Amino acid sequence: MKMPDEKPPLGPIEPGQLPLEKAPDAIWRSIEAALDARDVRDTRVLPRRTSLFAAWQWAAASVLTIGAVGAWYATRPELPSWQVSRLEGSAAVDKIKVGDWLQTDGNSRARITVGDIGVVDVEPNTRIRLVAASPTEHRLTLARGEISATVSAPPRLFLVDTPASTAVDLGCAYKIKTDESGDGVLRVTSGWVSLEWKGRESLVPAGANCRTRSGTGPGTPYFDDASESLQQALAAFDFGKGGEESLGTILLQARVRDTLSLWHLLSRVEPRDRVRVVDRMVDLVPLPTGVARERALQLDPATLKSWREELAWKW
Amino acid sequence: MEMVKITLFALAVAAASAYGKDFSLTIGNPVAVALPDGVVKKKDAGMAVRVENCADVAKAQVTATAEGIVNGARRSVSVRLVAATTPGAFAVSHDWPWEGAWLVHLTGHCGASTASAVVPFGPNGFLRESSKFFPRAATAAEVEAVLKTLSGGAQ
Repeated sequence: MKMPDEKPPLGPIEPGQLPLEKAPDAIWRSIEAALDARDVRDTRVLPRRTSLFAAWQWAAASVLTIGAVGAWYATRPELPSWQVSRLEGSAAVDKIKVGDWLQTDGNSRARITVGDIGVVDVEPNTRIRLVAASPTEHRLTLARGEISATVSAPPRLFLVDTPASTAVDLGCAYKIKTDESGDGVLRVTSGWVSLEWKGRESLVPAGANCRTRSGTGPGTPYFDDASESLQQALAAFDFGKGGEESLGTILLQARVRDTLSLWHLLSRVEPRDRVRVVDRMVDLVPLPTGVARERALQLDPATLKSWREELAWKW
Repeated sequence: MEMVKITLFALAVAAASAYGKDFSLTIGNPVAVALPDGVVKKKDAGMAVRVENCADVAKAQVTATAEGIVNGARRSVSVRLVAATTPGAFAVSHDWPWEGAWLVHLTGHCGASTASAVVPFGPNGFLRESSKFFPRAATAAEVEAVLKTLSGGAQ
């Protein structure tokens, strides 16, 4: 390259005063080579570092997660369960956990030990589920079939739901059976049971039965030895269209002990019929001291309770 | 003064005899009594009993034994009575075996008065209609007679 002869101008150099010279091709080639090399690093080295870092993060997170799940699984509290033993036929399980179903076939019977408060014998062709086993609630669902419960516990601790009622244990032994629609019957052999459904309640003492029906809930309880016509009239009154005629039969057939049924009817008959029921009850058992007829007709809860407690001496 | 003493004495005797004449025992379903611990013990109760017409029910006393025949053998078992929240009322604990023929012999005391009841049991509980009530202590012969009837004479 040839340099110009003139000297550089003095003072500030204005644009265009310096001559343009083309850079040698070798320089451009080296620059391009350097840029190419950097592009390669950018596309190969840096992404690899980022991806490795993320992989470690993921691996660590996974290990921590697996460890935490494992630790929870190893130390988690066991779901409450009750022991199951075979009484007849084949029983495939030895315990039932909360949420589990137990089903017997046509030839099998099983016994569930209800914590430390009692036992439930499960009859053939029965399907039952453990719903709760806490210190404040022991609850089973009887979807269909029959069970016998013997429980010694504070009232309202042990409950059995059926499709049309809840049997609330008040310290008792009983049998209850139901079909899948809720039609069934409860029979109490000791103590008593409260059969409840949507605000309707039947108190069933030892020696008494109570039917249940889908859509209606518990009927009127009656004693085993009540006359057949009284039992049929109660069924017609509770679940059929017996009405006036059934009530007439019930009142006519009732004995002293059947004041159990009449007491329940007080709050189930039409107001105009309530006087007839009260009159029949007083015919059978004189109104006790402290129970006012008018208060009873008004369905005063305290009056009805006092009357029931006194009547129970005749049951 | 003598007349006053005689009158007071006569009134006292009349009152005592009135109470003594009417003192009796009533039996009922176990649900008739409320127990201090709630109703939990009712499962174990075979029946309930209470004293009637006792001037001081808080001091009334009732005792019970179960008399039975099991496999032809005569047996006797003492029975626990659990005092209810109402004075003078008790739950009768079912302390006797379920097999065999059994009755419960109850004896109550109210002051100088005594009453008793002999209550046979069937498979489904006490038999009210077959029960015997006495305004005095039941004799051994009366208890045995009920037991003999209950067991079908197979004593």
